[in-house]
Amino acid sequence: MPLSSLKPKMRPHSSLKQEFLKKWIMGLQRCSFSKKNMSILERKKAIKFSADIAMASARNGTTCWSRSLISNASKEGSDIHVVEQILGSESDRPAVENKVPTRRASVCKKIVKRSCRIRRRRRRRKCVASAPSSIAKHLVRKRREVLKSLIPGGEFMNEICLIEETLDYITSLRVQVDVMRSLASASVRASE
Amino acid sequence: MEPNARTAETISNLTASDGYEVTAFESLQFTDEIHRLISAPPTDNASSFTALLELPSPQAVELLYSPESSKLIPASPPNVEDFKGNFHFPSNTCLIERDARLSAEVNNSNENEKSKSPESKKLSTNLEKAVKSEPAETESSQPLVSDPTLDKRSIKRKDGENKVKGSTKKSKTAVNESSEDAQKLPYVHVRARRGQATDSHSLAERARREKINARMKLLQELVPGCNKISGTALVLDEIINHVQSLQRKVEFLSMRVAAVNPGIDVNLDSILTSESGSPMDSNFPSLVMPVTWPEVQGNGHRQQYEHQCHFDALQQPVWGRGEVCHNYITPENSLLTYDSSANSATLHANQLKMEL
Repeated sequence: MPLSSLKPKMRPHSSLKQEFLKKWIMGLQRCSFSKKNMSILERKKAIKFSADIAMASARNGTTCWSRSLISNASKEGSDIHVVEQILGSESDRPAVENKVPTRRASVCKKIVKRSCRIRRRRRRRKCVASAPSSIAKHLVRKRREVLKSLIPGGEFMNEICLIEETLDYITSLRVQVDVMRSLASASVRASE
Repeated sequence: MEPNARTAETISNLTASDGYEVTAFESLQFTDEIHRLISAPPTDNASSFTALLELPSPQAVELLYSPESSKLIPASPPNVEDFKGNFHFPSNTCLIERDARLSAEVNNSNENEKSKSPESKKLSTNLEKAVKSEPAETESSQPLVSDPTLDKRSIKRKDGENKVKGSTKKSKTAVNESSEDAQKLPYVHVRARRGQATDSHSLAERARREKINARMKLLQELVPGCNKISGTALVLDEIINHVQSLQRKVEFLSMRVAAVNPGIDVNLDSILTSESGSPMDSNFPSLVMPVTWPEVQGNGHRQQYEHQCHFDALQQPVWGRGEVCHNYITPENSLLTYDSSANSATLHANQLKMEL
């Protein structure tokens, strides 16, 4: 990543929470919450959805997972207004657009790599079990695959990017959990 | 600390200029310093960590010498004015990347200079300067930063590190570097260690591996309980478990929020205007007014709670509110008893009680 990729400033933890909360509530209001006949599952889905989008938009397109999350969400037609609401005036769509060609390119690369790997694997199958280092590599590779499946948009990242994204994703998830928990417990207390 | 740092700096300059001895370099010595610094302010878990992630920036020695310390350390606002504000803090990922770059660069720089420990010590003392946010350091660092030789080095993504050792490198122009490209080319300056292959592929591979290792170390710091584990596979296991547990928590909490409020009436304005560090805890009870208790659908809950078997309440912070909301718990309990995997689910409900 070049030097020019110095991104806007890193927000301290508490203001990240505030921003997430603000965006989340905006999204919640935009969701058709007034409909009392929404089942709890639908509500839960809407809540989680707006929370995810809020979390991703708090990153302003700086991280891969956030862009991928937003682009995935933008595909479904029904929820686009929520996405727009949360993203607001930020033109996140250009970031989304930019992601797509890189994804395609990296997908093509991945396909080529996979085909080479498959050919290599067929040759190597006999001697895999013997060397401990190859076993270790195999284990690590397996876990990397799992991690890729967990992080949104992870399939398109190389190793370095994956670990960075994981770091960022974990902090964002923590913020999300904290805010949601405090909201839930506060609403519970308020109802007493 | 300040005089010690200065003397360390001068010492490192001297040893670099005297001559070089080939010593084995612990490539992660610098990151150990980082970890020491990270463990130094133990109060805030994530914010200080992420703040410290910003520290090891090779990109700008200006960061080291003129950081926006108000963002780094919440407790030291008065030092902000002393520093030039021309540096923009990048996002977390960029900082991590720069941290890894720095560690790689330290590796390379020490290979280049062949004076490893003073170099890393100097960089670490620079870091400590940044942590302590001492404005006086800027004067001593100015000659380094404004070194004219810096302009000639346009190393790809490794400028800051060169700036740090600019003065020392100047004194070593006579050094023959086997694997180094011409100074003015925008290539990666890497020095091969003794007894290692010097072709570009292995060098690039080594740089890449060090980057990955540095990031893995950061991840280990972030995920609790990973410090003692050695071995990439196990650490990755822990990380995966952590991410999965966090995702499950989000699911569960969103279900909880959905159960509580058919219509949460939140006063957005007061949220937006609140500035304090922990506004939410204090504001929420006044802001949130759930309308009714909804009818909880049994099927939906059962499915959700089956997924929460591994709900680790241990990691959850204990909230200050001591009272248990029985109204909220009992519908859940009644549902959970229906659950086929009742053991884990009721355990989960107990954890929920404890948590509240």
